[in-house]
Amino acid sequence: MALIECRRDMQQKGLDFGGSGEPRPARRRALSVSELTERVQGVLETEFLDVWVEGEISNLKRASSGHIYFSLKDDRAQIRAVVWRTDARLLRFRPQDGMHVLARGGLRVYPPRGEYQISVQVLEPLGKGSLAQAFEELKEKLEKEGLFDAARKRPLPALPRRVGVVTSPTGAVIRDILRVLRRRYANLEVLLYPARVQGEGAAAEIVRGIQTLNRLGDLDIMILARGGGSLEDLWAFNEEAVARAIVSSRIPTISAVGHETDFTISDFVADLRAPTPSAAAERVVQAKEELQARISGAEKRLHAALRLGLTRTRARVEAAAAHRVFAAEQGRLHVRAQRVDEAVRRGQRALVRRLERGGESARRLRERLEAFRWDRQLAARRERLAWRTDHVRALFREGLDRRRAGLAGLAGRLEGLSPLAVLGRGYALVWDETSGLLLRDVAETDDGRPLRIRLHRGAVRATVVSREPE
Amino acid sequence: MKKNEEPRFEQALAALERIVERLEKGELTLEESLTLYEEGIRLSRLCHGKLEEAEGKIEMLLKDGKGEPALDAQGRPKTKPLPPPEDEA
Repeated sequence: MALIECRRDMQQKGLDFGGSGEPRPARRRALSVSELTERVQGVLETEFLDVWVEGEISNLKRASSGHIYFSLKDDRAQIRAVVWRTDARLLRFRPQDGMHVLARGGLRVYPPRGEYQISVQVLEPLGKGSLAQAFEELKEKLEKEGLFDAARKRPLPALPRRVGVVTSPTGAVIRDILRVLRRRYANLEVLLYPARVQGEGAAAEIVRGIQTLNRLGDLDIMILARGGGSLEDLWAFNEEAVARAIVSSRIPTISAVGHETDFTISDFVADLRAPTPSAAAERVVQAKEELQARISGAEKRLHAALRLGLTRTRARVEAAAAHRVFAAEQGRLHVRAQRVDEAVRRGQRALVRRLERGGESARRLRERLEAFRWDRQLAARRERLAWRTDHVRALFREGLDRRRAGLAGLAGRLEGLSPLAVLGRGYALVWDETSGLLLRDVAETDDGRPLRIRLHRGAVRATVVSREPE
Repeated sequence: MKKNEEPRFEQALAALERIVERLEKGELTLEESLTLYEEGIRLSRLCHGKLEEAEGKIEMLLKDGKGEPALDAQGRPKTKPLPPPEDEA
């Protein structure tokens, strides 16, 4: 139907494509693409030399040359637009994605690409675009619920072991994150939940990613990331569902969406907002070397503090030990130690003697038993007796060892109490050799009795010439 | 801190730094200093150990047709290793 009308229309205009049965008129020359474009250009640029158009800015880019490129859009169509540098300088506001504007200009066709755009001379803000409106409304609502409160933000763990990432598995963002993490802390584990981060269904995938990583349970921190883009491109991160999923995440979350100047709702509800994905990775973990340096630093101070404490204590002990009264006390202790030594020696001698006597009587018993060899019945008793003899001997020896050990231990401990080697300072110990007593009183010895005097190095034998009681 | 529960890295590091500060003040008896010192050494070993704990695996979750994570026979999510990032050098 449409085709027929179209052909009739063309026939009326003298165009013909060789229809059925009719006489064939002279074939018209076909237009080249350039000619067609030229005609389109003529029509568009004349017809729309000066128009006013209203729409929302999106995909705005500022070229280094100073020109501003963007799209003007409403909910069904969009048109490319440009503000040349000379006009851009005259703008009284800074156009941004999502802004609702009124533009005045003319259409220009760009033949090499077959595209047209509006060349804007005048641009005025008209209040916010619908996306920006939605953004503001959601922001306000969540803010009222207290979801942006600083008190809600959890501290990030200083040393996470496993990091979850929700982002696209391809592209620069995940590469950047992995490279930074690797460099700072090579043994960190990373689990990526691959999700679309733009377009239809992206928000639902991001929500599922957040929930899945939470369910897996063993992650210490989570990064949501996306590279830069227009307000539309980043829109998934402004969806309420994503914001709610972040709020209910058990895992502390870093939001790193877009460039430094882009803010999204997920940035506000996350525990931390990072300006870029690389920055997010840097916030995940302090460099390992920094952590190591911190521990080693603490260790060094620990050693130094203890050494200082010990030096101080030692100085106090030495000062006290050097005191005359204390020195005398040390001397007394040493004397006691010597007496213990003496007691040990005497005890040993007595025990050895008793042991020898025990051995002697056992031998005599054995000889007497030998004499009764004729009585075979006595053999068993003899054996038993021999066993007992051995047993008695063993008991003696055991007792002896135990006492020796005990006394030696005691002596050692007392010795330990006199580290100042009192004898070394000129004190001496004097024994009466007749009685074996360590002398403390002239009454304990007598004129003419032999003495033994223990010095720091070696001993002297002497005889009491006379005594001088106090 | 509960006995049977190993302190987390940041708690151990903070405790270590508190001990250093107390020791540095030097107002403790010798016995207290020694006890704190031993605890400090234990914490610093713990911290160093924790720094080396993880394995550095980089993995990506695999999803089934419905977008749910694919599970293996033990009910663990299936993953595939991601290649480590090339260095900038």
